[in-house]
Amino acid sequence: MIAGSNLEQVLRSGNFAVTGELGPPKSGDFEVVRKKARILKGHVDAVNITDCQTAIVRMSSLTAALLALSEGVEPVMQMTCRDRNRIGIQADILGASALGIKNLLCLTGDHQKFGNHPQAKGVFDMDSIQLLGMVKQMRDEKKFQCGEEIKSNEPELFLGAAANPFADPFEYRPIRLGKKVAAGANFIQTQIIYNVEKFAKFMEMVRDLGLHEKVFILAGVTPPKSLGMARYMKRFVPGLDVTDEVIDRLSDAKDQREEGINICVDIINQVKEIEGVSGVHVMAIEWEEAVPEIVKRSGLGPRPEPQGVEPRLVSPGAIEEAVERARHEIRDEFEKELDKARSEAQASRGLLIKEKESASAEIAGLRKELEDVKRSAVKGEAEIKRLTTELEEAKEELQKAGSLQVVAGEATGGPASISQTEFNQGAMTESISSGKLSLREQDALSSLNLGLKALQKVLGLSEDQFEALRRFLEAEFLLQLGQAAPPAPAAGMIPAPAEAPVASTPEEVRETETKKVAARQKDVINLVAKANVLLHKNNVEEALNLFKKALEIAPEDEKAIEGLNKAKALLAEKETGPAGTAEAIPSAEGLPPCPEEITPEEWSRKWVVRYVAMGNVRLMKGDSDGAMEAFKKALELDPGDEKAKEGLERAQAGKGIHVPEVSTEKAVAPGEKEEVPPAEVIPEEKEAREPEAAPPVEAITEKEEAEAPAPEEEKKEAEAPKPAPKVQLSGTPEHEGVGSLEVPVLEKETRSLVERAGSIPEDLYREPCSGSIKDVLIGDGEKAITVGGETTLPFHLFEGDMPNPPRVAFEVLDSRPEEWPDVLTRYFDDCLDDPVKWARKCVDEFNAKAICLSLISTDPNGADVPASDAAKIAKDVVDGVDVPVILWGCGNADKDTETLREVTSLIGNKKVCVGPLSDANYRTLGATAMAFQLPVVASTPIDVNLAKQLNILLENLGVSLNHILMDPSIGAVGYGLEYTYSVMERIRLAALTQQDEKLSAPIVVNLGREVWKAKECRLPSDILLGDQERRGVIMESITASTLLLAGGELMIMRHPKAVALTEALIEGMM
Amino acid sequence: MIVAERKPMNEILDMISGVNRLLVLGCRGCVAVCSAGGDKEVDVIASALRLGRKKAGQQIEIDTDTLVRQCDPEYLEPLKERGKQFDAVLSTACGVGVNFIADRCPGVRVLPALNTTFYGANMSSGEWIELCAGCGSCVLHLTGGLCPVARCAKRLSNGPCGGSVGGRCEIDPNVPCVWQRIHDKLVEQKQDKLLKDITPIRDWTTAGHGGPRRRIREDLLP
Repeated sequence: MIAGSNLEQVLRSGNFAVTGELGPPKSGDFEVVRKKARILKGHVDAVNITDCQTAIVRMSSLTAALLALSEGVEPVMQMTCRDRNRIGIQADILGASALGIKNLLCLTGDHQKFGNHPQAKGVFDMDSIQLLGMVKQMRDEKKFQCGEEIKSNEPELFLGAAANPFADPFEYRPIRLGKKVAAGANFIQTQIIYNVEKFAKFMEMVRDLGLHEKVFILAGVTPPKSLGMARYMKRFVPGLDVTDEVIDRLSDAKDQREEGINICVDIINQVKEIEGVSGVHVMAIEWEEAVPEIVKRSGLGPRPEPQGVEPRLVSPGAIEEAVERARHEIRDEFEKELDKARSEAQASRGLLIKEKESASAEIAGLRKELEDVKRSAVKGEAEIKRLTTELEEAKEELQKAGSLQVVAGEATGGPASISQTEFNQGAMTESISSGKLSLREQDALSSLNLGLKALQKVLGLSEDQFEALRRFLEAEFLLQLGQAAPPAPAAGMIPAPAEAPVASTPEEVRETETKKVAARQKDVINLVAKANVLLHKNNVEEALNLFKKALEIAPEDEKAIEGLNKAKALLAEKETGPAGTAEAIPSAEGLPPCPEEITPEEWSRKWVVRYVAMGNVRLMKGDSDGAMEAFKKALELDPGDEKAKEGLERAQAGKGIHVPEVSTEKAVAPGEKEEVPPAEVIPEEKEAREPEAAPPVEAITEKEEAEAPAPEEEKKEAEAPKPAPKVQLSGTPEHEGVGSLEVPVLEKETRSLVERAGSIPEDLYREPCSGSIKDVLIGDGEKAITVGGETTLPFHLFEGDMPNPPRVAFEVLDSRPEEWPDVLTRYFDDCLDDPVKWARKCVDEFNAKAICLSLISTDPNGADVPASDAAKIAKDVVDGVDVPVILWGCGNADKDTETLREVTSLIGNKKVCVGPLSDANYRTLGATAMAFQLPVVASTPIDVNLAKQLNILLENLGVSLNHILMDPSIGAVGYGLEYTYSVMERIRLAALTQQDEKLSAPIVVNLGREVWKAKECRLPSDILLGDQERRGVIMESITASTLLLAGGELMIMRHPKAVALTEALIEGMM
Repeated sequence: MIVAERKPMNEILDMISGVNRLLVLGCRGCVAVCSAGGDKEVDVIASALRLGRKKAGQQIEIDTDTLVRQCDPEYLEPLKERGKQFDAVLSTACGVGVNFIADRCPGVRVLPALNTTFYGANMSSGEWIELCAGCGSCVLHLTGGLCPVARCAKRLSNGPCGGSVGGRCEIDPNVPCVWQRIHDKLVEQKQDKLLKDITPIRDWTTAGHGGPRRRIREDLLP
């Protein structure tokens, strides 16, 4: 026994071993490791803990191995040479050994290129074989790699290594396995086996070397989780041989996972039978759940009871200690909690008592008050009695006096006074009856009143005195009545504290101290309540005063103190920000809620700006009322806003006048004023503002999108005045077109390249060509043109000559074009049906240097106009213009032969150029052309060799290269331009630098038809693609200019503007 | 030879910002052979720098010169004085030349125009490959003349790893597996016994891991 690990014991006992694999997480989550370990526990003898497999950073294998061990799963710690040098490796090995790890798998490691840190420096201080040797030396010789002695506790490790039977060179693999065994491997785990046949062969070679007797070999297997995974492994994992059979089985399977497990089990059953295989290594990568099933189905379970799997880090003593410590901790914690709860309970009890006290004090106060009221009522009763007796006395006196002075009394206005009394009495009765007094009481009162009146007279009381007395008595009377009702000590019934001053009457001086306390408390409670209400209403100052008052009365009232602090805090907040909190903004209620990220102040400011903008826009639209409203809103929010004031003034003054005031910075020309859309004016105002205030309409809508809290109506309001943009988002915009057909002259570079190159030696950039291009004459007379003849690459005028500038020919169709977009036909609307007139127009109006007449009507797949008719048209065109004409057939070899023959017979010796000649009709047409000495167009499909071949064929026929224009066939920009370019360039380079004479013909580029059939030229104008005509013109002129640079000499084009642009470019470059 | 490649022009332009007088100094050694820093390249670099500065609207005065070698003191002798006339000397030599100028010419500010890449050979026009790592402890006699230190991605000493398939290295199918080739070569030369021997762990001090290397030949010392 070397290390005494469970794996070693299983293998040595002759059991068929099973190992599993556990990939540590890409995090510090130990639960992941534990969970995986628990899944594997009991189903495998040991578990490989990978060491940052595929060079992806993960929890270190040492750590994860220890975690697995703590779960009772024996780890096989993997160790690679990629990330540590011999110092690090040996250090980790010592640590692993110290903590109870007994198996070590020695690997070189996947190259860092495959991982998530491909820029890392790979250490590779040693390879796996040297690593094995080093650890074996540490274990068996008790020496570090340097030779120094390990004084004690050398690592006792059961050493493993990997082998890949499927990598190359196959015949060397067993030998390399032998090297590993010689270096110190005790067991081998192989690469994943799917190709059992090849593995069997490998094992045969291993047996031949006798290695199976020196080392335990565990066959590596993996259940393919899915077809995708199998395909990936087959294609992208070097050294992994996934057979087609496996792929087929998976793709045919209904349940791929189930089939994956089946495949794995089948392979295990096969390799089990191979001599020299001591176990299997099941690598269910991120599918640990499959392992128990695989082991069970392979008949490998149950596994022998694990031996010697003990985590050293957690010794039994340590457990006890930990338990004891935990117990202590829990007890401490518990006691602490208990104390806390106890003190809390006490505190709440105290609070309860206090509450009770205050409540009873209050009740006592209330009782006192009630008694006071009662007492005063009793007193009132006594008074009434006294008064009644007085009244009786008065009555008696009255009666006495009445009988004596009846006559005299009448004379002094007695009856009048009596009637008055009666009236009074009536009024009183009425008022009292509304108070629902009993009849008897009413009687008593009325008589009382009567008596009083008399008293007034007798005593000579003033009206006021009398009234006061009356009221008093009335009150007393009513109070007496009220006594009959049951006493109600409920809070709602408590008289307002304002009645407290009654206490100043002499009767109440005797009041006890307790009553005063109760009254004070009541005051405090009332004050605090009021203050809190005020605080809620945000009247902080007032609330503060009330709190202060309350504290004056009861300096220790907690609620008052709390309230005071709150009020103070709010006040401080108010002072720091003059606008105060959101609620404090005077008119902020109308605004949407302020978003969290900005302060209410800013929010309000934004809205001021927004309203001002809205006002400006409305003003622009002539909606003065709307504008005024908006400006007013802005002023409500910020009465000091200058812009809003100004706007309001404008709105008020300029009702009905739409002309906006223009800000000072920029004056708008008077004529423009009417049309200036607001979006253009407002930005100027924006400049005058702080940058945050962005009033342009667009800006507002944008902001609203960004901030999003604005309600829908607001948004609509802001959007509504938006002026029609220049380019609409949908619908057909107005045609813009290309404007004038005039093209400014391209500015020429006046200095030569030599001058411009400065001190760069000329020979560094100059590469003159030795070849030259043939020149071809087209047309007759003064306006004949010559193309070609250059001795240099296009426009490389510093390297050679370009005697004839490239030319542009206008394309004219022999019948009305069906598929031309109207941005093109609009220039020829008056002549589309008349090729002669069309051609003339090109020459006269658009200054065409040449005409290319496309005989499209002759196409057998189209109109199939007879050759003779087409020939007549062609003749008319040739006769009708004085510029050279190219006659371009329909592309059907036979028909073109026919047509062009007809034409030549009609036009005689005129030097028209005919084409296209292809390999199908070059013989017939070539002969015709030769007969009339006509230049021809030789067309080939974008290929250097075909172009050259056709030229050779024509030359063999007798057509001189001086009469050939090459049409290499082209693609428009976006439709193969670059391919065309490169073919043309190669043709040109061959002619010029390799003296390939057969390719030295000038190149004709029929690009108009290619460009204008592209869908980009046909789609109508829209905001994304822009104006249709411009688009077409740009496509045509770019294609032309590109192919000019590739070597085109005669460009056939359609749009007058594109032609003008191209000619300007040629002019500028020459 | 030492293979180098020119740094991106923008990097050089950044490097010489603020330099008004510049000497572009070439080397006719290895860097000339690998078309990175000889006469022609010096001219190209100088022109490009002038253009670059002009484009940026700045002036620069550039002189050019090319030494036979920048790694021998006698050739550097004139530079000691001449270099001081410039704000900087842009050396198109390998790192050796740049270091040597910095060592030998006090008061001269030297800048590198090249990235020194490796010791290699010219496979075909425009292609160089690394063939030696200069590890200071040659094992080529054991490996059929093919170097596993320079040419194996993992610098393996004991045969091909499990990623060798079809003679290709796992890191890149364009890279041949040198161990496959060593294997084939040794088998062909009937030296395959060498493949069975374990190559012991290497001593990397000779490869520079023991600090900067120095070589002394007593017999040649002055």
